[in-house]
Order: sequence, then structure tokens, then C-alpha cells
Amino acid sequence: MNVGDLLDAHVEEPEGARVGVVVDVRFALAVTEPEGEGGEEDRENPDAPLSEHTATRDEVGAARLVGLLVSPRSAGSFLGYERTDVRSPWPVPQLVRRRHRGTFLVDWADVAEVRTGSEPVVVRLAAGYERRSPAL
Amino acid sequence: MKKVMGAALGILTAIGGFVDIGDLVTNAVVGSRFGLSLAWVVAVGVVGICLFASMAGRVAAVSGRATFEIVRERLGPRVAGANVVASFAITLLTLTAEIGGIALALHLASSVEPRLWIPVAGLAVWLVLWRVKFEVMENVAGLMGLLLVGFAVALFLLGPDWGELLRQAVPPSPPGTEHAATYWYYAVALFGAAMTPYEVFFFSSGAVEERWTAKDLATNRINVLIGFPLGGLLSLSIAACAAVVLLPAGIEVSALSQIVLPVAQAGGPLLLAVVIVGIVAATFGAALETALSSGYSVAQYLGWSWGKFRRPAHAARFHVTMILAVLLGVGILMTSVDPVMVTEMSVVFSAVALPLTYVPILVVANDPQYMGRYVNGRFVNALGTVYLVIVVAAALAAVPLMIATGAGS
Amino acid sequence: MTRERIVDARLHLLSRQVLDADGEPVRAVDDLELTGPDGQEARPGEAVRVGAILVGPSLFTRLFGGAVLASRLPRIAWSDVAHVGTAIELSVRSDELDADWVELWLRDHLVGRIPGGRHDPEADG
Repeated sequence: MNVGDLLDAHVEEPEGARVGVVVDVRFALAVTEPEGEGGEEDRENPDAPLSEHTATRDEVGAARLVGLLVSPRSAGSFLGYERTDVRSPWPVPQLVRRRHRGTFLVDWADVAEVRTGSEPVVVRLAAGYERRSPAL
Repeated sequence: MKKVMGAALGILTAIGGFVDIGDLVTNAVVGSRFGLSLAWVVAVGVVGICLFASMAGRVAAVSGRATFEIVRERLGPRVAGANVVASFAITLLTLTAEIGGIALALHLASSVEPRLWIPVAGLAVWLVLWRVKFEVMENVAGLMGLLLVGFAVALFLLGPDWGELLRQAVPPSPPGTEHAATYWYYAVALFGAAMTPYEVFFFSSGAVEERWTAKDLATNRINVLIGFPLGGLLSLSIAACAAVVLLPAGIEVSALSQIVLPVAQAGGPLLLAVVIVGIVAATFGAALETALSSGYSVAQYLGWSWGKFRRPAHAARFHVTMILAVLLGVGILMTSVDPVMVTEMSVVFSAVALPLTYVPILVVANDPQYMGRYVNGRFVNALGTVYLVIVVAAALAAVPLMIATGAGS
Repeated sequence: MTRERIVDARLHLLSRQVLDADGEPVRAVDDLELTGPDGQEARPGEAVRVGAILVGPSLFTRLFGGAVLASRLPRIAWSDVAHVGTAIELSVRSDELDADWVELWLRDHLVGRIPGGRHDPEADG
């Protein structure tokens, strides 16, 4: 199974009622901070390219699947503004948030079945599933 | 002293690099028909390109990602693909116009037909992209492009009625002979000529390739903030020359020879020669930048290796794309299409293409995950939103106006 | 010190540039392969993690609405990923991956053959 199979899949409740569409898949990256680097002094080195000042130097380990982001709207969530509190550039985030109100996160443990055979793919949630906040 | 020279070089190159065949033709056409009543559009366009270029430069320097990588990430493969196809097509159109401009200027200087100069111009552009150290070429083209200041010299020599020119500009008073729709069509065209999208792709790709430090970013911002407005003044002097000489005589610009007529009239063959050299240099420099931009757009979207500092063998697909773009441009021109008409279309379609790259850059410039503490401040965002409205409005109005006015006739 | 950073596939991973250990562009991320514990099939309700990044020519197929055989896409094992920032940086060099045959073909048969194709434009002379 690939992430691409899950994206845009229809999401159903245990009884079969349609709840929305998968707009994104959430992962938890295990990151390790790099060993002793002068920290602040290094970051402000004026001769270093600016891209190194904001670059994340954490070493990445495993990427654990946390859950699925489900939106009641079928169109993909453009830019994910409903998951962050970025306010600019007005009016783009505000419009996207309104359109995707009701987006929620569902734990992977609450997913009962993924029917990849059907077109489109269908994700059936387990009974007693919890709707979590989609905030990043 | 060396630092001052370096800074001056940057600014001068920005001024010389601002004016391309699109600015030349559009300002002259507008001056010959509307006087200086569209001068405000040049001002709006200059502020816009300063904003857009500095934002794109900051995004590229901080994130290390160039424009079309950002477009692909934010819009997803399908929408971004359509975006890249449109951007590439319009960049190709502009490249065609620039090569045409080189050929027209060389025709003015010699009596050799433009059609014979076209393949020569195309070959010269490619040779420079292939072999010449880029910084050298950029500085040479930029400084020689400054010779276009001959237009400003000509304007003074013509001894115009400054009061009359000012009256046309502020408040904008178009001549009664022109229709309002035509006025707005040329406003969009002039806006597209000032806010050329390829300038931004070029700028941001350079920032990534050269791995700008904070100092580089500051230097380039100064170059932009001083150089581009001065380039705008140069554009206005081209329009003013046309307003003073061509408008009263009822000459409508349709050829390069008419655009330089005021210069010949004011300063004779010497000034004319200086200006022609300036036109060749400015259009050649712009041809280099547009060819590179055509390569950048495709290579960045598809994730290929790219770069003007890379050995061609290490960026083979990028170079092949540029070779194809130059060949296509030369091919289009060899069908005897009028290069001035190609130029006029390229500026209008540049206005149409602007939102395609402006919107993703504006969005990313506000992304704290991408930019860290270098996100847009309040003032830049306010200005950015104002220009979002302007850019989208111009893009939507361009084609309907083009149809309604028969491309300005 | 290890902690967890939350990322979303579409927002932070898909379509991002992949760079090799030298910073050279490899491709863009097309898809992410999921596996269960010990490399088995990913199953709902069980622990699932990213097994590999899929990069490759599926772009054109996806644009025109088709589906590409998973076996045809070049894979980059997730264990080769070093950093996830504005791009995805690997800990391996791209010669060790399946290099793009178009780039190599063009280098050997076209660009490399034209005089000056292998010349470094930043070298003097």
C-alpha cells in the first residue's frame, strides 16, 4: 500500500455512511538533534548561506503512520491552512479554512479496512472512532 | 573602494537589465498614442517588480528552493504541470521576441535583412549560454544596456514642453482620439512589460545556485530597489521621446526604426549609434535570461539538475531544453512573423502568466516552516495583498481586452 | 535526544525535491511506500511506517490519470533519508541510486559530444 492509494479515498463510517475524503496522511518522524554544534553562534555565521540558518539539521529516523486527515469536502486541501494558524496572505488562508471546516484527524488504529480494490479506494472506520483535532 | 565599485556594478547592471524589447516597444507604442497618460502604470509596475523580485529572492535564499520547485510542491503535480506548461510557453514567446529584437537592432545598424540576423542572434545566445562565464556576460550586457540612457539624453536635447508632459501624466489624461478599452489594454500591456515573470525565475534561481548569504540578499535587494526604479525612469524616457516626436506627428509605432526616430532627430547619427548598441546589449542580455528561465522552469518542476554554473554535461537535460527553446524561437521568427507584433503579444501574455508564480511565492513567503523568522513582515504582506488583487485583475482582463480592442488597433 | 515531529504527506513530503548527500537533485517525491512491522504488508489498525520513497516517471502517467506498476518505480529506502526540511536530503550519493537514463544518454550522446560540453564554465579560460 502506498500513500497515494490512501489520498482522495472515500471515508465511510462503520455502518457505511460517507463521512468525507482523505486529504492527507499524517506521520510522526523520529528526529534526533545533532550532537553539540555551537548552536546559536553557528546559525548566525554571516558567511554561511542563508538557507543554512533555517535548515533543520535533525537526523530523521523512522516515519510512523499516525492517522488520516479527513475533510467533508471532496477537493484536496490546498495548502493545509485548516491545520495551522497562519494568517497571511489575506484572504487565502481564511477562505481555505472556511471551505475545509470540519476536517478531522482519525487515528490509524481506528481504521478498520482499506479497500484498495474498489475505484475509488474506500477507507472504512472502526466502531467508536474518535474525531481528533487536525492541528499540526 | 572595491566595495563601492561592486555595489555600483550591481545597480548599473540592474538598470541596464530592466529594459528589454518588451519595455522598448510597449513604451514607445504607448508614448506615440497616449503620450505620458499611462506613466502611472510604469510606476505601479516598478513597485510591483521590486516587491515580487525581492520576495522571490528572499524565499530562494532562505529556503534554498527555486520558484518552480515551490510551484510543484504547493500546487501538486497536475495543477503545477499546467502552470509550468503555460509559464514555459510564455517564456518561449518572450525569448522569441528578444531574439527578434536583437535581429531588428542589428538590421538597423547594418543594412542586412533581419531574417539573416535571426539565426546569427540565436547562435550567439546559445554560445554564450554554453561557454561564457555567466557573470562576465551579465555585467557586459548590463553595462552596455545602460547606453539606452541615450533616450533620456535625446529627450533633453529635444527641448520638450515639460509642463505638457507632466499634464499628460498627472492626472492621467488620455487623448480623446483613443477608446477607453484601448487605454486599459495598453495599461495591462505596460504592466506586463514592467513586471516580466522571467526576471523573477532568473533572480530566484540565481539565489539558489549562488547560495546567497545574508549579505548577498541585502546587496541584491539594494540593487533591485535602486536599479529597477531607475530602469523605470529609462522606460519613461522612451515613452516621453515618442510622446514628443511621434504623437504630434500621428506616427504609430510599428517598427524599431520609428522607436529610435526621436533619438536620430535629437542627437544625429552618433547618438543613434550609441542607442542601437544599447538596444542590442539590452535585448541580448534579456535573451540570455529568458533562455535560462525556460530551462529553469522545466528542470525545476521535473526535479532535474540545473544551473548556469554547472558543466553542461552535468545538467544535460537542462541544456537540451534551452537549446530546444532557442531553436523554437528562431524557427518561429523565420516564418517571417513580425517581431514587433510578437513582442506586443509577449507582454500581454506576461501579464496573464504573472499570478501563476506570484501566488505560490506570496504563499510560501508566509510559511513559517519554510522561512523561519524571515517570513513576510506586516508591510510587505499588506503591499503583497494589494498586488495580489492587481496582478489577478490584470491577468483576468488581459485576454478580453485583447479581443475587444483587436490587440490595440 | 530523540523526539517526534509531525508531518503531513501532501504538505511536507509529496512533490518535494530529493537531494543526494552532495546536494545534487535526484527527483521529486512521487509517492511513499508503506510497510508494516518487519517489512510486511501494511495493514489497517497495525503499526505502519514509511518503507521507501518512490520517485520516477510516474509523473506523466499520473497527470493523465493512469496508474503505474509499483515495481517499475525507482525506490529509495526510507533508511537512506537523513534530513527532512524544505527538501528531502539523503545520506547516500546519487550514483548509487538508479540514475536517470535520459540524463546519462543525453550526456553521452549529445551534450558530451558538442565541444565544450564538459567544460566547467566557472573555470578560467
